[in-house]
Amino acid sequence: MAEINKETLEYLAQLAKIELKPQDETKLLKDLGEILNYFKQLKEVDTSNIEPMTGGTFKKNVFRNDVDDLRSEINATAKDITDAFPEKENGFLKVPPVFEQ
Amino acid sequence: MDLKNLTIRKFHQGLITKEFSAVEAVTEFFNAIDVEDKKINAYLSLDKDGALKQARKIDLAISKGEDLDLIAGAPMAIKDNILIKDLPATAASKILENYKAVYDATVIKKLKNSKAVFLGKTNMDEFAMGSSTENSAFKITKNPYDLERVPGGTSGGSAASVSADMAIGALGTDTGGSIRQPASFCGVVGMKPTYGAVSRFGVIATVSSLDQVGPITKTVEDAGIIFNTIKGKDNFDSTSFNAQYNELLNPDFNRIKKLKIGLPKEYFIDGTDEYTKKEIQKAIDKFKNLGFEIKEISLPHTKYALAAYYIIVFAEVSANMARYDGIRYSRLDSLKEHTNKLWDIYFKQKGGGFGFESQRRIILGTHVLSSGYYDAYYDKAQRIRRLLKEDFDNAFKEIDIILTPVSPTPAFKIGEKSNDPMQMYLSDIFTISLNMVTLPGISIPVRKFEKGKELPVGFQLIGKAFREEDILGLGQYYEKN
Repeated sequence: MAEINKETLEYLAQLAKIELKPQDETKLLKDLGEILNYFKQLKEVDTSNIEPMTGGTFKKNVFRNDVDDLRSEINATAKDITDAFPEKENGFLKVPPVFEQ
Repeated sequence: MDLKNLTIRKFHQGLITKEFSAVEAVTEFFNAIDVEDKKINAYLSLDKDGALKQARKIDLAISKGEDLDLIAGAPMAIKDNILIKDLPATAASKILENYKAVYDATVIKKLKNSKAVFLGKTNMDEFAMGSSTENSAFKITKNPYDLERVPGGTSGGSAASVSADMAIGALGTDTGGSIRQPASFCGVVGMKPTYGAVSRFGVIATVSSLDQVGPITKTVEDAGIIFNTIKGKDNFDSTSFNAQYNELLNPDFNRIKKLKIGLPKEYFIDGTDEYTKKEIQKAIDKFKNLGFEIKEISLPHTKYALAAYYIIVFAEVSANMARYDGIRYSRLDSLKEHTNKLWDIYFKQKGGGFGFESQRRIILGTHVLSSGYYDAYYDKAQRIRRLLKEDFDNAFKEIDIILTPVSPTPAFKIGEKSNDPMQMYLSDIFTISLNMVTLPGISIPVRKFEKGKELPVGFQLIGKAFREEDILGLGQYYEKN
C-alpha cells in the first residue's frame, strides 16, 4: 500500500476527471495519507481462506421477461426524461463531439 | 393543533373524527415551518401547492366516507436524494442544483398510494457523504436541542424536521448510520431496514451494496407504520425482496417479552463519552427491570469494520458519482457556453460541482480500485465483510436482539470535526457494521430529553435479517413502559 504523492494525486484526479483546485491539493494529500494509513490495520487479519462478500444481497440472478410490461409502473414518459437533459435535440440527448480533444 | 405530541396514529384519529381537516393540518405545519425553519434550516425546498392539493383530495375522500390508510394526510418530510416527480432533487449538491425529478421513487409511489402528504425536501450531506449534514452545498442545519450543534448526518434535515415538529415523520437513507445517528442526535426514532426490505428505485445511489431507505419518526409505532407502507419487492430494484411480516402494526408483546438481548463487549469500550455511557446504561437497566434476559456477547472483528466499510464506501462512491458528468442530469450554469469541449465539461463540472468531501471520496475510491491495489483494498474489505457477517450469525445463535449505543458522543458542535475526516469517520463506529452485514437497526431515544437543556442520546437495537418486527416490537414495549 504505497503512499500517495502529488504525482499520484494528479493521476487519480485525471482518471476521475476532476479538475482539482490548487489550494485543495495539500489538504487532500494530508487526508489521503491519514486515511490510507488507517486502512493498514486490515493487514493484521488473515483472510486467505475467506470468501469475499460481494454485495448486500445473497440472492443469485434475478430474471424477468424481456418485454415492455413495466412501463405503466413509472409515471414518466420518454419525453419527460429527454426534456430533463441539459442539452437535447429532437428528443435525443445532445453530446459534444467525442473525438475532438 | 398540538404539533408537539402529534404522532401518525393520533393524527389519523383526529382526521377521521373530524377534529381537524387535512388542509388545516398542512397549513398548520407550513406555519410552523415558516417560524421554526428560520432557525433550524432543515428544508431545502417546500411544496406548498402540491401538499395542499393532496390535502384537499383527502378531505374530499373523508367527506365521502372513504376508508383511509393510517398514513393518509400525514405531513411528511423527504430527504433530497429521494425523487418526487416535478420537485427538485439536488442531493444537497451544487452539481444537481437545477435538477428536477422526472418520476417518483418507488417509496414515494407507495406513500402517494396511501395518500401521504409531502411538505418538502430536506437537507443532507452532499450525496449522503458525511456524518453531520455540514457537507451540504446549500445550508447548515442546526440541532433543535442546541442550535450550536449539528443534527447528525447524513439525513440531518429529515431528523431535525421531525424533532422540531415541522413534519410528523420523514424518510431518510442510511448507508452507514445516516438515519440512526441523526435520529439519536435529534431525540427521535430512526430505522434502517434490512438490505432488500425497501426498494431503492428512484433513490440517488451512494453506496449501492449498503444503501437503504427508512423512516424517521417520533415514536417506534410510527416507524412501523411508515415501514409497513414502503416495504416490499419492486420490479425496478432487483435486490428488493418480499419478506413475511405478521405483526408490524400490532406487536405480540407476549412473544416480545421472551426475546433475549445481547450486549457486544466490543461496543462497550473506552472512547465512548461518560454522558452517553450513563444514558445507555439507563436503557439496559430498564430492560433488566422489565425482566428481559440480557447477556454479554462478542463480535470479535468489530475493530476492523470501520476500515473495511470506508474502503467499500469509497470504491462504490467513485463508481456511482461518475454519472454526474454534466451531460445527462444537470450542467453548471458556468459551463452553459462550453458545449463543444466534452473534456472541459467533465473536468470543470466535477471540479466545480462536487464539494470537497465528495472529491476526497471519489479520489480515494479511484485509488482503491486502480490496477494493482484491488486485492489490497476492495477484495480485502469484502473478506472482512464476510467475517463481520459470521460474527453476527454466531451471536444470533444465542440471542435474538443486540443492544448497543448509536454514537460514541451526543451531537457535536458545528465545525468541531469538519476539518478532520478521520474524526468524522470514527463517529460512525457503532452503526456501520449493520450496513456491512445487511441487518436492520433502530435508534430509539433513551428517554424524553428537554430542548435547550440536555442533549438526546439514542440506543440501537439490531435484529436478525428481515426481523424488523422484533426491533419494532421491543422498541414499542420500551416506549410504553
